[in-house]
Amino acid sequence: MKITFTINNEERSLEVSSHQRLLDIIRKDLGLTAAKEGCGKGECGACTVLFNGEPVASCLVLAPQADGAEILTVEGLLSREGELHPLQQAFLDAGAVQCGFCIPGSIMTGYRLLQDNPEPEREEVCQALAGNICRCTGYQKIVDAIQLAARRMQAGGDSS
Amino acid sequence: MFGFGYGEGFPDHSIASVEPAGEGRILIRTSAADVGQGVQTVAVQIASEVLKLDPEHFEIVEGDTHTTQNAGSSSATRQTYFTGHAVKEAAEDLLGNIYHYASQEFTTNHPEMGTRDGRIFSHVNSDDEMTIWELKDRLANRGIELKGRGTFFPRTYKPDPETGQSEKVYVGYSYHTQVVEVVVDTVTGQVTVEKAYSAIDAGKAINPAGVEGQVEGGTAQGLGMALMEEQIIEEGRTLNPDMSRYLVPTAVDVPEVETVIVENEDTDGPFGAKGIGEPAMIATAPAIINAIYDAIGVRFYQLPVTPEKIKAALEQN
Repeated sequence: MKITFTINNEERSLEVSSHQRLLDIIRKDLGLTAAKEGCGKGECGACTVLFNGEPVASCLVLAPQADGAEILTVEGLLSREGELHPLQQAFLDAGAVQCGFCIPGSIMTGYRLLQDNPEPEREEVCQALAGNICRCTGYQKIVDAIQLAARRMQAGGDSS
Repeated sequence: MFGFGYGEGFPDHSIASVEPAGEGRILIRTSAADVGQGVQTVAVQIASEVLKLDPEHFEIVEGDTHTTQNAGSSSATRQTYFTGHAVKEAAEDLLGNIYHYASQEFTTNHPEMGTRDGRIFSHVNSDDEMTIWELKDRLANRGIELKGRGTFFPRTYKPDPETGQSEKVYVGYSYHTQVVEVVVDTVTGQVTVEKAYSAIDAGKAINPAGVEGQVEGGTAQGLGMALMEEQIIEEGRTLNPDMSRYLVPTAVDVPEVETVIVENEDTDGPFGAKGIGEPAMIATAPAIINAIYDAIGVRFYQLPVTPEKIKAALEQN
C-alpha cells in the first residue's frame, strides 16, 4: 500500500507492505540511520522517534500506521544551515556519548521532555530517560547533557 | 586490584604507525577497536602531545588487515596501555625522522631545532623553516617516505604449573576503591543506591572525562550485578532473554558517582597511564553488598540481591 507522511518537515510517499515497521522504512527506505534497532521489541528505547509529537519505539509501529503521521528523528533536529541542535551539542560537550548506540533515542526523549519542562530537575530527567537503556555511560553524563542543553536553551531563548 | 593485559604469559602486543598525509593531516594507523571506550581519542591525544600539534590534524585509520597492523583485542583493559604505548613510540619515531631529515635540509643539529603546530624551525637561522608536509613532499622527491612506526611487546611471564606463581602475572595493576550509600526498604525489600564515591588509580588520566565515563558506566554495571541482573536457565534454555525480564539498570536506578582520579604512574604505560575499563566496575557489587550488611545486618553471598531475597532474610532474622 502507499502511505504519505511527513518526516523531519518533509513530505514523503512510499510503497510499503503491511508487515514492515516504521523503523524499517526510516532506516532502509529513507536511509535515516540515526534511530537504531536494539532489542526489536520495544524494551530498550534505541529506536525512539517522535510520532505525532510523542516518543514511540519505532520498532513497534507498523509502517501503514505512519500514513498521515508527522515524524521527527535526530536528523530533523539539525538547523537548516546544518548546525547541531543545542541538545546534540550538549551531548558532545558533556561527554555523554561513549559507544553512541542509545544516544539518538536518548536525545529524542530529552527533546520531548524539554518541550514540556524546559528546566527539569535531575530526577525528572532520570524519570524521562527510564525507557532508554544505556549499557556503557551509567547515564550520569546523559542527564548532565540534557540539563546543560536546557540551561543553554533557556539562556538563548531557543525553545525549539 | 585488577591485573590488566592478557596476562599469564600469553603473548600480548600492539603495533601502530603515524604518518603525514595530505596538507595539514596526520594519519594514525592502528587496528585497536574503539567500542566507545575511547581508545581512538586517547591515541590522538598521545600523538598530538608528542608532535606538539592540535588534535584536529589527526585521523585514525581503523582496523583493516590491508592497512593496519595488529593491536590485539579491545578487552582485558589493555588498549590505552598497549596501543597508547605503540602510538607514543610511533609518534616519537616520526618526530625522530622529522628531526633527522630536517636537520639535513637545514644543515643544523637537532638541539638547534624545534617543532610546533606542524612547523619545523631552526633556533639559529630564522629562514630555516618548513612544515611537516613540505618536508614530506621534499623527501618523496628523493624516494623517502616520512613516517613513524611503534611497537609495544612487553615481556610476559608464564605462571609456574606447580604453584601458579609467576614473577609478574599481569603487565600492570590498577586499583579502585568505592564507597556507596544505600537505603534498604524493609517493607518492600527494595535497595536504592543513593550515592557512590570512587577513587580510581588511572596511572595518568590521558582523558579525565573518559575515565569518569568509564567509572560511571562501570558503577551502573556493578549495580546491575549486585541487585538486578540474573540469567535464569532451565534445562539449557534461558527463560529471560530480554530487557523486560533480564533487568539492567536504567537512569532511575543509578546513583550519582563522584570520581576522584588518583595518578600513580606506571613505568611502562604511555605517560604513566594504566588501564581502567574493567577495574571501574569491580568495586561496586562488593561495596553495595557491604552497605546492605551495614544497613540491615544480613550478609548475602549470592548475587543479585533481589527484593525477594532481602524480604526472606529479614523474615528469618
